[in-house]
Amino acid sequence: MKSNVWRVGAVLMCAAVLSGGCRTGGDEMAGESLIIEELEGDHRLMERFEDGTRVTDVSFDPVGFGYDSYQIDGSEVGKLNRVADYLRRATDVNLVVEGHCDERGSREYNMSLGEHRALAVRAYLIGLGVDSARIQTRSFGEEQPMDMGHNDASWTRNRRGEFALYR
Amino acid sequence: MRLEFNNRRQCVAGVVALGLCVAVRVHGADVEIVKQGSIKTALSLKGMRVDAQAGSKTFLQVLEADLKRSGWFEMSAGGASVAVSGSCRGSDGRLSGQCNVANTITGKTLLSQPLRATATEARQLAHRTADAIVKAVKGVPGIASTQIVMVGARVGRQDLYLCDADGGRLRRATHDGAVCLSPTWGQGVSDILYTSFHNGYPDAYRINLGGGRRTRLAAYPGLNSGAVLSPDGRRIAVTLSKDGNPDLYVKDLKSGVLSRITRTPYAAEASPSWSPDGRQLVFVSDRSGRPQLYVQAVHGKTAKRLTYEGRENAAPDWASDGRIAYSSRRGGVYEICLYDPVSRRHSQLTDGSADWEDPSWAPDSRHIVCTRTAGYRSHLYILDVLGDPPLRLTTSEGDWYSPDWSSQ
Repeated sequence: MKSNVWRVGAVLMCAAVLSGGCRTGGDEMAGESLIIEELEGDHRLMERFEDGTRVTDVSFDPVGFGYDSYQIDGSEVGKLNRVADYLRRATDVNLVVEGHCDERGSREYNMSLGEHRALAVRAYLIGLGVDSARIQTRSFGEEQPMDMGHNDASWTRNRRGEFALYR
Repeated sequence: MRLEFNNRRQCVAGVVALGLCVAVRVHGADVEIVKQGSIKTALSLKGMRVDAQAGSKTFLQVLEADLKRSGWFEMSAGGASVAVSGSCRGSDGRLSGQCNVANTITGKTLLSQPLRATATEARQLAHRTADAIVKAVKGVPGIASTQIVMVGARVGRQDLYLCDADGGRLRRATHDGAVCLSPTWGQGVSDILYTSFHNGYPDAYRINLGGGRRTRLAAYPGLNSGAVLSPDGRRIAVTLSKDGNPDLYVKDLKSGVLSRITRTPYAAEASPSWSPDGRQLVFVSDRSGRPQLYVQAVHGKTAKRLTYEGRENAAPDWASDGRIAYSSRRGGVYEICLYDPVSRRHSQLTDGSADWEDPSWAPDSRHIVCTRTAGYRSHLYILDVLGDPPLRLTTSEGDWYSPDWSSQ
């Protein structure tokens, strides 16, 4: 019963992520609802699992993000569905979602933003039914760009969530 | 001190205004000359005799450079209001001598102290002597003996590096072979807190520079980033994501007890910096949709937004005199800005010629070290809030960023 409540919460969180969350623009966040409290329980990163052996025979396209954004765009949902399908079948595989940012802005803020991106991906996958205990997150901030260029196209490629699979 | 502080706002208002403050001002018995920026005291080093030993010559060169870098003095052969005299001689690998400082107008002796060091420590001896002179003449702490920690990226690898406040004695402090970030000094100059990926995840560590011992401060699942030691040395503020979202926490180092400071399920926090009394934190949060600065009491539940100007504001550093330096995205580039809690006013220190980020205060609350990035190459610069022009600190090949200035 409790896990059902959490599942509902997870799906609601995904909806919130997709719709842009509930930023208020004011000094304070709006009051936290019961569902969000429950969500935190489900979305807590309980333990850091041992990485194990990297799975190299499967790979997934990284999820892209807007500037300063952790929201998952509708265009990226297909990629996440494919990852969720795979994880549901490959029950012995664990996932580390790696969050990355482009080079602009504060390095330290980008560590938090990268983590926020990875957690948004994780929340979405949990909403699709993947066990939360199988998904860890790791932010690289702006430290590991995949494209070394300094232009809009490079920055777009570098704002991403990657999927590192371990068995 | 009062004069300079009253003058500060005019000086930081812009470089143009600086040229207008040329004047000779009599402050007590101290003749102060204003020229290109801040008010300076005319000082003569003519009476400091050194022999031909390399160590002695280094001592005098570094002493003169340190006194200039302090921002308080202008070297003057005649008509100086402060005269430094004495001697420094080398023999058997040791330096010894005497340093006397006098006010030439009143005739009063301001400082009289022996000089003693090994010849290889000529630079450190000069730094200590310069700080003693600044303290004796101006009554404020000097910065010549302080150190700066930074990240250096050279030949594809990142490590922490240290250097003296004049950029000298650049040396590597870590050999992790992994991404490292956000170094800050612990208490004194014996230890450094930083974020390292050497175990695969971003975790918070403290390294002891003497023995090289490394202690893990926070390694929860997810993010453990930007740890900073409280002024009393008992707690760290750190960004963790273990509860499902990047939020700020304070960890008591002795008991290990964690207190959660922010609770923003739809926003990320970062970059905490302690108030001088250790009761508040200034930090970055994107709860408004963009990274902006907020202040919150460690035992409080509500955060007050500090910045509204600038598309993004980040990397705050709280000075011991209460002012907060930060980087602000304005007109397409990052500028170093200051917030004065007394006047509640924000001012801009840099000139838009490049991206200026990651400010860190010197213990004199006058100088700031920061990263200047132009053409995608980063070097450290020292800024003067009283108006002297920026000075480049790093000269070696590589990218240098995320500096933190030691408190002593």
